Amino acid sequence: MTVDADKRFPAAGRITWRDIGASETGVAVVVLAIFALLPMVVSGYPIYILPQYMLFGMMAMSLGLMWGFVGILSFGQAGFFALGAYTMGLAMHTNWGINPAYVGLLLSLVVGGTLAAVVGYFLFSAGVRATYFVLVTLALSIMVEQVAVSQSEITGGWNGMFIDRMSLTFGPLGDVPLFDDAPAYYAVLPVVALSYVLLRWLVSARFGKILAGIRENEDRMTALGYNISVHKTRAFALSGAIACFAGALYGTHANFVAPSLGGVLFSTEVVVWVAIGGRHSLLGALLGGILVASLSNYLSTVTPEYWQLVLGLIFIAVIVFFKGGVAGAVAQLPRLWRTGRQP
Amino acid sequence: MTELLRTEGLAKRFAGLVANEDIDFRLEAGTIRCVIGPNGAGKTTFISMISGHLSPTEGRIFYKGRDVTPLSVVKRARVGIARKFQTPTVFDNLTAYQNVELAVLGTSCPSHKRRQRIFEVLDLIRLSELWDMPVQFLSHGQRQWLEVGLLIGVEAELLLLDEPTAGMTAEETGSTAKLVQRLARDYRLSVIIIEHDINFIRDLRAPVTVLHLGRVLREGSFDEVAADEQVREVYLGQDAG
Repeated sequence: MTVDADKRFPAAGRITWRDIGASETGVAVVVLAIFALLPMVVSGYPIYILPQYMLFGMMAMSLGLMWGFVGILSFGQAGFFALGAYTMGLAMHTNWGINPAYVGLLLSLVVGGTLAAVVGYFLFSAGVRATYFVLVTLALSIMVEQVAVSQSEITGGWNGMFIDRMSLTFGPLGDVPLFDDAPAYYAVLPVVALSYVLLRWLVSARFGKILAGIRENEDRMTALGYNISVHKTRAFALSGAIACFAGALYGTHANFVAPSLGGVLFSTEVVVWVAIGGRHSLLGALLGGILVASLSNYLSTVTPEYWQLVLGLIFIAVIVFFKGGVAGAVAQLPRLWRTGRQP
Repeated sequence: MTELLRTEGLAKRFAGLVANEDIDFRLEAGTIRCVIGPNGAGKTTFISMISGHLSPTEGRIFYKGRDVTPLSVVKRARVGIARKFQTPTVFDNLTAYQNVELAVLGTSCPSHKRRQRIFEVLDLIRLSELWDMPVQFLSHGQRQWLEVGLLIGVEAELLLLDEPTAGMTAEETGSTAKLVQRLARDYRLSVIIIEHDINFIRDLRAPVTVLHLGRVLREGSFDEVAADEQVREVYLGQDAG
């Protein structure tokens, strides 16, 4: 090559992968800053409940990864989430010389990742199409719920399981209990933010580019020598691990887990959050989880009879008018504005 | 010259229908071969068995002396056999750059050299000016070229091109012949091409294998094959009169 690519295509150095990403980073920084400053102006119930919704948002991102970036819809994310909460609840009773909450968090990653890897490996290497994957993951949610009900000696059955609030321990540096709302808030927020940054990095790296290739054309990827079932399994394992980890934190924050947390109803809600937020954007999924869950909570107090109907109508409106969800619609705004200005 | 690909007694039958029968085929490294034949002669079946998309009923396939018959599509792609499909199979929603990037990501090309490598490929297939264009907006001919570019990007050594000039203008067809010749001459790639376009095959000046009813009818230079009575009867007669 005689002419250097940099000189001929100055923009090529920066733009290597086009997605909503470029414009998303700025919004993400603002949103995270708002969340970081919120406890200084607000107190009480919102600061208590928001971390739980943030963890819902983290679970929503784990679905966004699969649905938006691999093109595979999973109805099993709440199953992983509940599994994480139960894992945390059980781990809290361990006495292995390290902070039992750390054991729970670590185990939740392992349990969620392993379960998703095993399920994913068998389904993807058998060439199961997206539709059947939905059904199997739906069954996975049901199984988690059923096991939680039936193994009542371990899980508490219908009564659920109480989980203590965790403490952060820093060895000789001391402990930080998370019993109060503000410390708990400031413990959960960075975890959620970090998972967002990690996922953003992953989807723009080789890992995510290959997933996008698989989403766009599986036959072509296979003929290029990519073992797509391996890549899909990796993505699903990561997705399961994240959902399970978020669930573990949720369990200790909410102090409680019941079988319905892993059920079909809640799994469906997660899909609704991501559809509304925008499945092609991790920030869309995250905010979809936080805001729609908040809205549900608010609506359920304002109009206990109709709130699910309102939510359903919003869902339908988004699906009909903006297939890419709110994030997809927002991402198109600058383009519309630009084309509008052209002579 | 070293042998790159050899098939021995290759056969494919679909429930009694003979698609390929007893094909002994040999290809030297760095050479081009055209496979022609009337519709239903078994050309695409033949290429599909080499790419691994179909497994043969009988016979073996040797690539660089190694028996690759049991290998899957993915594994064959990894040893260097890559295929262009009859209809352009590219990543429609991604840009030309991203398309080639996905091919290059499958190689050992280090990340700091990746962009240069991608533009090398885009230059070769004349798409570097359109690097940022989602490829669904490219012309049919450009998409055909892009798919060839993917095979180059993934560093395949044996390119299987199924009707690469379909839907191309005469001018595009001419430059495709030059591109293929360049790949063999400058990049030492081996190419098997299925084509219907007689002018394209003549331009390539490459040896021709004629398939008829799933069997090899004749092999030789274009002129030899074109002069053959039997070949003219079953195939060329219709076009070359």
